[in-house]
Amino acid sequence: MAVVLVVEDDVFIREIAEMMIQDWGHETLSASDGDEALLLLRSNQHIDALFTDIYLKHSVLGGCELAHQAIKLRPKLRMLYTTGNLVTDKMRAMFVEGAQFLSKPYTEHQLQQSFTTLLAA
Amino acid sequence: MAVSDIAASDIVETVPSALIVLDRNLNITSANRAFYQTFRTSADETEGCLIYNLGNRQWDIPQLRTLLESVIPHRASVEGFEVEHNFPVIGRRTMLVNARKIFRPGDSDGSILLAIEDVSEERAARAESKRNWQLTQSIVDTIRDPLVVLETNMTIVTASKAFLTIFGITEAETRGRRLSELLQHQWDVPALRNLMEKVLPDNKPIESFEIEDDFPGLGRRVFNLNARKISQPGNHAHRMLLVFEDVTDRKQRERDALSLTNEISHRIKNNLQVIVGLIAYEAKWTAAPCVQGYKTMQARIGAIAQLYDLISQSSRGRTVAVDAYLREIAKAMSASLIGNMSGIVIEVKGEPLEIDPDRAVPFGLLVNELTTNAIKHAFPHGTGHILLCVEKFGDEFELVVADDGIGMKGKDSTKPPEKRGSDYVAIFVRQLGGTMIPWKQEPIGTTVRIRLPLLLVPPSGTEQAAA
Repeated sequence: MAVVLVVEDDVFIREIAEMMIQDWGHETLSASDGDEALLLLRSNQHIDALFTDIYLKHSVLGGCELAHQAIKLRPKLRMLYTTGNLVTDKMRAMFVEGAQFLSKPYTEHQLQQSFTTLLAA
Repeated sequence: MAVSDIAASDIVETVPSALIVLDRNLNITSANRAFYQTFRTSADETEGCLIYNLGNRQWDIPQLRTLLESVIPHRASVEGFEVEHNFPVIGRRTMLVNARKIFRPGDSDGSILLAIEDVSEERAARAESKRNWQLTQSIVDTIRDPLVVLETNMTIVTASKAFLTIFGITEAETRGRRLSELLQHQWDVPALRNLMEKVLPDNKPIESFEIEDDFPGLGRRVFNLNARKISQPGNHAHRMLLVFEDVTDRKQRERDALSLTNEISHRIKNNLQVIVGLIAYEAKWTAAPCVQGYKTMQARIGAIAQLYDLISQSSRGRTVAVDAYLREIAKAMSASLIGNMSGIVIEVKGEPLEIDPDRAVPFGLLVNELTTNAIKHAFPHGTGHILLCVEKFGDEFELVVADDGIGMKGKDSTKPPEKRGSDYVAIFVRQLGGTMIPWKQEPIGTTVRIRLPLLLVPPSGTEQAAA
């Protein structure tokens, strides 16, 4: 069982994603933006993976920036990005090493596959 | 024969310059053949004549008088005296006169040897060159985009007024200096330097090299740099013309448009994600036999979302390239072939046709539906080929989705047919105004052929198709 921090500014999408992740036996934490997420990441809370939307509120690359700060705080953190926007090579170059990506809209099956790959690495 | 054996008169007759000898009274005592040829005159009209009285008195010029009467008596020689005059018969000419005082044995007064060289063509060429330069400079100054002309050693020969004005720099600060030394070294970029070094030796122009930087008095600016080799006919010297196109506003508009596209895409995909999430939630509480239907619905929503991305990747302005679009669909579907389906290969053969974006989504959904059917039903052992092909036939084109699987005969008759899938195919075909070509038994696998109207335009340069 893993602890996954879900960062998504759309409440419905976030809660459905949490529901899916919990169904596979994992525990979830949630944040609606980078600042909320960093509070959790700076705490003593155990976190195995960060699942973040790239476009967070008004920050087009907010998720990428969050992931970079997160990996500095927790170098072993697993990272899964998602976005509905096209992922350019420039954006991919900003991904932290070993990160996974899942485009929106994703199904439960696709999310599960991504987590299986992410947590097995 | 030694040089010393050659008579002076032979030399005088041979040299190309017109030569005349004057006595102390400035009467012409002799002239050489070149003189008579140049001025189209004869010895009778010339010898014994006062130089000022020659022809139409063209040599009666105050400066020449000063030269012959004041300078020569006190100096041994004068060089490079220029006379521009409308000469009889030969017309307007520029003559370069060199004078030398000579003394013959027994002649204490001495004579004057005048060498007259016709430099009209050289002077005309020089004047033409000057006019060309002035014309070039005036063109350079008229062009609104800043530009500079560079020597082979990359130093600036000239900068346009627009360059000087826009970058707030003086001509003296630019001339003879390298571009990289100007301002705060904004142009000192290794990649630009490498490209510039190839413009003259390799005749390789620079097209739209983008530089974005802060410029004094201008703020943040984006410039596109274009450079090419320039040369004047008959002149072996080459120079480089470097033009700076300010694309800041255009770039900003592009960034605004991209930002808007991203924002819209973000909202659409989030809304689709909400729908997919709702379906997932409903599926949780639904009886097992119905779950597959919900999953299929999710997959179709996913396909629509993916098609929007593929359209934007395959878009050529107002049209979508069908071949590129098919390749993107194949790539996306191939990426989803994992586990026991990873042995299925999707291949694309497409003519370079273009489709209008409004019809790209139903076309993509049609391809998606047919390919998904092949993946699901043609390969019970998880290996095989699927071919996606578009081919032009007059004012129609044919979409072919073919597989080398088990074919219609080999299907498990105990499984119910995919009614919804074929309904969707029929709807998309009707939406696109096409027709299904009746299915026939193939020796291997299944082939679906659909004729669609050519709403598509072949790429420019080929035959124009019906809209």
